[in-house]
Amino acid sequence: MNWRIRLTWWDKLLLVVMAIGAVFAFVRFATGIATVANINNAYPWGWWVSYGIMTLIALGGVGFTMTGLVEILGVHRYHPFVRPAVLMGLLCYSSMVTVLMVELGRPWMVWMIMISWAPTAALFEVGWCAFLYLTVLALEFSQVPLEKAGWGRALSIVRAIYIPIMILGVTLSHLHQSSLGTLMTLIPHKINVLWWSDRLPLLFLFSAVMAGPAMAILEHLAAARWLDFAPRMDLLAGLARIEAWLVGLFLAFQMGDLVYRGATDAMFSESWFAVSFWVEIGFGLILPLALLVMPEVRASRSGLATACSLIVAGVLLLRLNVVVIGLRVRHWETYFPSIGEVAITLGITAVAIFVFGWFARILPIHEELPLPEPSPRPAVQAARAFRGAEGVS
Amino acid sequence: MTTTTVIPKAMIQDNTRCIGCRACMVACKSWNERPADHTEFFAGAGYQNPRDLDSNNYTLITFNEITTGAKPDWVFGRQLCMHCEQPACASACPTTALTKTELGPVVFDASRCIGCRSCMQACPFLIPKYDYENLAPKIHKCTFCADRLEVGLEPACAKVCPTGAITFGDRDDMVAEAKRRIAEAPGTYIPEIYGLEEVGGTSVLHLSSVPFEQIGYITGLPKTPMPNLTYRWLRMTPGVFGILYAVFAALNWIVRRRMRHQKGEGEHR
Repeated sequence: MNWRIRLTWWDKLLLVVMAIGAVFAFVRFATGIATVANINNAYPWGWWVSYGIMTLIALGGVGFTMTGLVEILGVHRYHPFVRPAVLMGLLCYSSMVTVLMVELGRPWMVWMIMISWAPTAALFEVGWCAFLYLTVLALEFSQVPLEKAGWGRALSIVRAIYIPIMILGVTLSHLHQSSLGTLMTLIPHKINVLWWSDRLPLLFLFSAVMAGPAMAILEHLAAARWLDFAPRMDLLAGLARIEAWLVGLFLAFQMGDLVYRGATDAMFSESWFAVSFWVEIGFGLILPLALLVMPEVRASRSGLATACSLIVAGVLLLRLNVVVIGLRVRHWETYFPSIGEVAITLGITAVAIFVFGWFARILPIHEELPLPEPSPRPAVQAARAFRGAEGVS
Repeated sequence: MTTTTVIPKAMIQDNTRCIGCRACMVACKSWNERPADHTEFFAGAGYQNPRDLDSNNYTLITFNEITTGAKPDWVFGRQLCMHCEQPACASACPTTALTKTELGPVVFDASRCIGCRSCMQACPFLIPKYDYENLAPKIHKCTFCADRLEVGLEPACAKVCPTGAITFGDRDDMVAEAKRRIAEAPGTYIPEIYGLEEVGGTSVLHLSSVPFEQIGYITGLPKTPMPNLTYRWLRMTPGVFGILYAVFAALNWIVRRRMRHQKGEGEHR
């Protein structure tokens, strides 16, 4: 089995980003959190938690969203998206664990969660669920390298347990995606009324579900471009329709929640909270929804890429708003992420993207994809050769 | 078999008796072995030094310039861990590094801490602080001198207070005492005990001559314990897990049956 690839210019760019992140990570471990990060006593959670933990878990939700859509709701035409989605989930969760090791004050003690009993702590539940789900993702994805390496016995074992494991993964995801919201319900006095809600668990779960198809579409477009195959625009358009529904329903849910709580005044108050709220809603939900309801946009690569990027950015901003921007502490306290905080998370994200690109070139990730193409290009023919490999359910 | 009933302790912080000498801050540093630190003057309301609690200062007397009657006056307030009856910090800790002891103190066990700082985020009074500059950081907050309480001593701050602004005793007695003081001198006190009902009650009870929000206290907190905000969701976890798994498994079974069916028809054709 050949693990080698030829590095392209974007592989090299990612390696540079990784190197910069590694330097900052080294400083963090050599001299302490205070040297590289701006997180402080008033804002104990900053960019590392809002992006590196909360957003990466939400984006990693693409794994359970696409798996659930295909295997549990039975929409089998999207089966080609499952493998890339599971790999994205695996990499997002692995990156999250890596950020956690940087972010925790005492990362060498993290196993303590496993031997504790803290049923009142949301992080206890998130810790367990995310750990188990990471195992599930690794098992699900292990089919691909096993298939490629031709290890028949190991592969048959993994396939035998696939169905119960897959259902376990989707269930665990529902639990910890919502528990991340539960975590934040503890501080109603600290989070601005625009974001603190009794229904934060559902808001977090639904927004993670909403991020799923958007991530799948973005991945497909990127893979088609960089791995040089023709994107399945028929499937993307269908997925974009589902995504439009999800965004619309989420928008209705979030707005309905605000009206139900009587927090509509805060939406129109003159404050930075309201500004951040409208950026989140306007650019993260309303604009992409308006784009996705247009058939021309659903049929266009750039249109889909724009709409889905906005949705993903909106999910990030929702996490930022709940964890950092919407926080009310002592009035003189401020927080803005430092270069070191951002560089470390970018480095870890670059590792994930690099590994994805690497695996996509050496493993049959997209093997089910290149389909009706009137005039197949050489790359497409090469990709079709992969289809000789046994498909996985 | 002997049973010992532990009587929970509490402390009254009577701000009307405070003269701002900060002996409590010195005694606290001394007992908890916190180093002296270099502080800076800051602009804006308040005059205390340092401005806020941090990893080296577990308690703080706040200096608040308040106009009472015709002239401005210093009114003192105090920040320290409230030692909630049902602490949000302990409920948020995924490794039970923070626990409420029977005597009253909420204590921190560094050997269990993973450094997630949930407790800092959870605390409604913004009390736990962190030493980010350390390679093995710890949560820092008032301990209620739990080690002194265990051997029958009173907290260091209560021991040194020269004006009787800090009173230590059994919680029931302290609640009665606080009520008695307000009843006896309604002109001196506002009719409110901060900590009696806040977040379900705390082990530190504050009295004041002016409304608490004027002297830097966090007001408007719920009267119900905080941990239930998350626990009412989290306790559903096992049930939700079972229901969701069953529903997903059923759907998956239907989907696979339908697929087998379609395949079967295809072969017949």
